[in-house]
Amino acid sequence: MEFAFSCPLSSGLHARPASLLAETANQFSAECSLTNLRNGLVGNAKSVLGIIAADVRYQDHCVLEVSGVDGHAALSALQRCVDQTLPTCDVGLAESPASRNNVTVPRVLQSAHATCISGVVISRGIAQGKVAFLRRIRLSAHDKSLPARDPQYELTRVKEAVIAVRQRIGEKLKYAITPVGAAVLQADLAIAGDILLVEKLAQQISQGKSAAQAVVETGEFFIDLLGHSENDYIRQRAADIEEICAQLLEEIGELHSSETMALTEPTILVAESLAPQQLLDLDRRWLQAIVLENAATTSHAAILARSLGIPTLAGARNTRVALPAGREVIVDANRGFVVAQLSSSVRRFYDREQETLRRRMARSSRDGTKRATTKDGRAIEIAANVSSADEATLAFENGADGIGLFRTEMVFLSREQAPSEEEQFAIYSEVARRSCGRPVIIRTFDIGGDKKVPYLNLPREENPFLGYRGSRIYDEHQDLLLTQLRAILRASVSGPIQIMAPMVTSAEEVAQFKAAVAQAKGSLALSGIDFSGDIKIGMMIEVPSAAFMLHELCRELDFFSLGTNDLCQYFFAADRGNAKVSSLFHVRHPAFLRFLDQIVRQIHQGKRWVGLCGEMAADPQNLPLLLGLGLDEISVPASEVRYLQQAIPRWDSDRCEQILNGALACGDAEEVARLLSELWNTGSPQPLLTSELIVLGSASETKEEVIQEMIDAFYVCGRTEDRHALEEALWAREAMGSTELGHGFAIPHCKTDAVTANSICVLRLREPIHWDSEHRERVNMVVLLAVRNADPANMHMQVFSSLARKLINDDFRQHLMKIDTAGEVTAYLARQLDIPLHPEDSAIAERPAQSRTL
Amino acid sequence: MKIVAITACPTGIAHTYMAAARLEKVAKNFGHEIKVETQGAMGIENKLTEADIRQAQIAIFAVDIEVEGRDRFNGVKVIQVPLQEALKNPENIFSKIQR
Repeated sequence: MEFAFSCPLSSGLHARPASLLAETANQFSAECSLTNLRNGLVGNAKSVLGIIAADVRYQDHCVLEVSGVDGHAALSALQRCVDQTLPTCDVGLAESPASRNNVTVPRVLQSAHATCISGVVISRGIAQGKVAFLRRIRLSAHDKSLPARDPQYELTRVKEAVIAVRQRIGEKLKYAITPVGAAVLQADLAIAGDILLVEKLAQQISQGKSAAQAVVETGEFFIDLLGHSENDYIRQRAADIEEICAQLLEEIGELHSSETMALTEPTILVAESLAPQQLLDLDRRWLQAIVLENAATTSHAAILARSLGIPTLAGARNTRVALPAGREVIVDANRGFVVAQLSSSVRRFYDREQETLRRRMARSSRDGTKRATTKDGRAIEIAANVSSADEATLAFENGADGIGLFRTEMVFLSREQAPSEEEQFAIYSEVARRSCGRPVIIRTFDIGGDKKVPYLNLPREENPFLGYRGSRIYDEHQDLLLTQLRAILRASVSGPIQIMAPMVTSAEEVAQFKAAVAQAKGSLALSGIDFSGDIKIGMMIEVPSAAFMLHELCRELDFFSLGTNDLCQYFFAADRGNAKVSSLFHVRHPAFLRFLDQIVRQIHQGKRWVGLCGEMAADPQNLPLLLGLGLDEISVPASEVRYLQQAIPRWDSDRCEQILNGALACGDAEEVARLLSELWNTGSPQPLLTSELIVLGSASETKEEVIQEMIDAFYVCGRTEDRHALEEALWAREAMGSTELGHGFAIPHCKTDAVTANSICVLRLREPIHWDSEHRERVNMVVLLAVRNADPANMHMQVFSSLARKLINDDFRQHLMKIDTAGEVTAYLARQLDIPLHPEDSAIAERPAQSRTL
Repeated sequence: MKIVAITACPTGIAHTYMAAARLEKVAKNFGHEIKVETQGAMGIENKLTEADIRQAQIAIFAVDIEVEGRDRFNGVKVIQVPLQEALKNPENIFSKIQR
């Protein structure tokens, strides 16, 4: 018995409709098979994987064949399913396009029709390389050689794992919030119990494989089968199977993510998620960037990627589907997307971008490296969070005032046995030497949570973040702690090292920690080894209970550092690695800010020093809050040090206190965010004219490139931090009507707070270009006016209106066309508009022409 | 001929003033007397008085947005053109007036 149908779903028979069909077929004992007449592929209609593998696309003609005792009933049930259930099963499940709308793709790339896959920026930077996927299901060499035991035993393990994984998905399904989420889980559930999958597993075991080997080989079989489909949806199911198999392996207890992946060329690593160990195992010489599909932005791997300075995006959905392995791509982890095809205009855009970033860096390092002080003269230390001696060096090169957090666990991870005292002493003393007298806070190892080391044999835990980690394991691993403390104490001879304990919950733990330090000192003294006797001891504040014992803790310790990542997740009881609840984890929530404010006040009342080393310090928007809190130090990734040092002099400490009080009085995190975004752009008035905004001899070829080049000039000299907003403001004005003036002139302009100062930017082209399609005349002189909204309405407006009026004047225009150097242009404009020339520009005016070839 | 005019554009930082300058210049060439009020980012400047409007034979609105205080011109003949017109072909406007 059979019936024919044509596939009614525009995305084909992907996992969800396939699971509905298989579910129906499985109610009967009759055998059911599906034949796709387009490609001749036949699949078991009782198996989701079988149906998916038939690669049924929109309007493919198919035949469903049924044979068996209840064949009639099965046939009519399947017919009903195809006619009635399938056509509507995708309705309302379309992915919301919101995540793609806020992508900040520059116009130059848009006009080049470059495909960009968006993601959340974890670690900034731009990189180019070939796509490689990190497979989650791999067996270590050890497991490969591990012989299978009795097949019955292995089969039971696999079956139990399948049941456990299905149960887990079923649990999640109960709490699925969105229809899309539920549909995905439903499909996962179907795949995990799929008869073909289970059959294949059993078959592998009957051939003498172990449970883990069977899962890996079965997974690889189906991934290979589905991964070659031309249909995106079906390739996506390959990722689902990988996920299910990884969960099965985890259940069997054999998930080895540590198998090293060999890189041999500049590589962009694409993965669902990444464990810190997996990242550390990769060859840094070739690893250019990381793209994660998972949306959690504060996992330890993410922090590690940032500290290593590897450009990283997260939440880049469907990347594994959209990008084939081996494709050359660019990851723009400044703007938050992957450029999937590299055309010549894309390459040209990024060549220019690198040059812009280089010039911006060169200009900002010219600005000097003295200790940052607020406008009213309050100094604050800007230190760096590092994980290695190399990173510490980078931080000092960037002008860090110290190391606010040296995470020593990286010294312990990624190896078979604990590092020796000598080895640790070498690392710590190197950092101390490189500090040239600047303070270095070394945190003793914080192992546990998601940071595992094989040689400690820590138990598997249901809830590792609330479990056995940080100083909690010190009692059991005294030897390891004493070795590390001896190494730190010995290194303290080379520089002002301080010791900090992680994850402290109570005063008893502090007492034990101090006893350990005393013991380490005693043993060194006994052996006659040098160390600094008055080394300072402090602790991380990560556990809320510690915040209510500060009176006692201040008597025991010299300093404190706020570890806001963990503190915040424990405060809100929201796992920061779990994308489902990460929206609850909000460092700018007034509840959390009140908590921080209370902690800082109490520590200062106890006359102790307090810094902050969490991720929140790296977000420039939070700066006024941190200054308002009155922290003694802010510690950020090495790459952010310079930026903060430049930003601090713009703020007044009293004003920051008022801002903090405003934020403390807010009702929710969004209100705080609004308050901050309004504030952020209040920079100090800068002169209207600067020769840094005069570009002569531009090689741009399109209007998009011209505007980009002018925006880049703003960015290089620090007049905008948000090129995207500036670009959008300019294009919004262009959309209202041409800004072409005739006589070869165009005057794009906008009112936006994306600029930090009212500015006039002039660009002269080497070859004239078309500005607007409706005008035949070409443009070779572009005068861009940018006015801040937030400034008093009349500031500089007289100058702008007088410049506008002058542009009508033939002599004025002709003169502007002829001037040879940027300095002369600014001098001429200053004279004509009757405004004073910036002293720096008077000097620049003497220099030769600033024409650039690109 | 006595003429009054208003220029206004959406951002009010460039075209408003350029159009005003163009109208002033070309009117002079045509031998007219003109006063141009600008409605830009600085608000209303060179404001037309009641007497200016009463004495004018015609009013030109070269605007891309709504004019502020349109009711001041009740009973006066008004020509309204897109601002670009005043910028690119102000001569056209004045020849139209003469016809």
